Amino acid sequence: MHSIFSRINNVSALFSSCMMGLLVAISLSSFLLTAEPKGHLAISSVKVYPSKAPRYPRRKQEMAFVNFNVTADLTPLFNWNTKQLFVSLEAEYENTQGVKNEIVIWDRIVRSKDDAFIRIVGKNKYAFREISSTFKKIPSAHYALKYNVMPYVGLLTYGEAARTEEPVEFHIETRV
Amino acid sequence: MSIPIPQGMIDFAGQKQVDEISRIWLISSTVISFVAGFASQNIRVTFGFLGISTLLLFAVVIPPWPMFNKHPVTWLPSVGEKKKIKWTCGSYIL
Repeated sequence: MHSIFSRINNVSALFSSCMMGLLVAISLSSFLLTAEPKGHLAISSVKVYPSKAPRYPRRKQEMAFVNFNVTADLTPLFNWNTKQLFVSLEAEYENTQGVKNEIVIWDRIVRSKDDAFIRIVGKNKYAFREISSTFKKIPSAHYALKYNVMPYVGLLTYGEAARTEEPVEFHIETRV
Repeated sequence: MSIPIPQGMIDFAGQKQVDEISRIWLISSTVISFVAGFASQNIRVTFGFLGISTLLLFAVVIPPWPMFNKHPVTWLPSVGEKKKIKWTCGSYIL
């Protein structure tokens, strides 16, 4: 501590230790501030239409179109350590090989507490296709509204705000 | 031509003072910033408070202020005559 350099060195070393302790405390504090908001999710229609696969003009590919209705109040998830939320609507089904599929059909990034009340009547944002190109062997799917809390400091946490009680059937339409 | 860098020496009592000031200041301001940010539920309060208080601490502690130089080292008075001392090790004269 005798010269300017050694004082800068000592003080900044202690400062970085304090900063580390503070960051650990902040990341642990978000475990105290837990919230599990529940919302409501209704699927009004799921229609499957025949379509063409991209780049392969003769291959058939079925596309599903989902209309949904989401109401969820996610404001309790915003505490001092929440940077933003990633909210997604996922379709979950098991195919004939017994593989579990989770497909994101709609999502949104919520950046502030003011935008955290979600009320959406909409349709799927991303293409909903089956890898076997047809939905005929898949009777139904569950739909779930999931969220992902991104903190300033600490761990990413996952949660589910709403889920369909009964599996929703695919209505296969032969004509567009 | 090199620019002379100021050494900024302080005495031993000042060094102890600086050590205590910086330790107490930093640890307490860390605790206060956490509590303030948690209470106001705003992480900007935490880092703003800690940053400003650390800058203040740098201003208090880094320059060689005269309050850290109040206790200069007093040396013993010099012995007037220099004596030649013979150092020996066994029978060898070093």
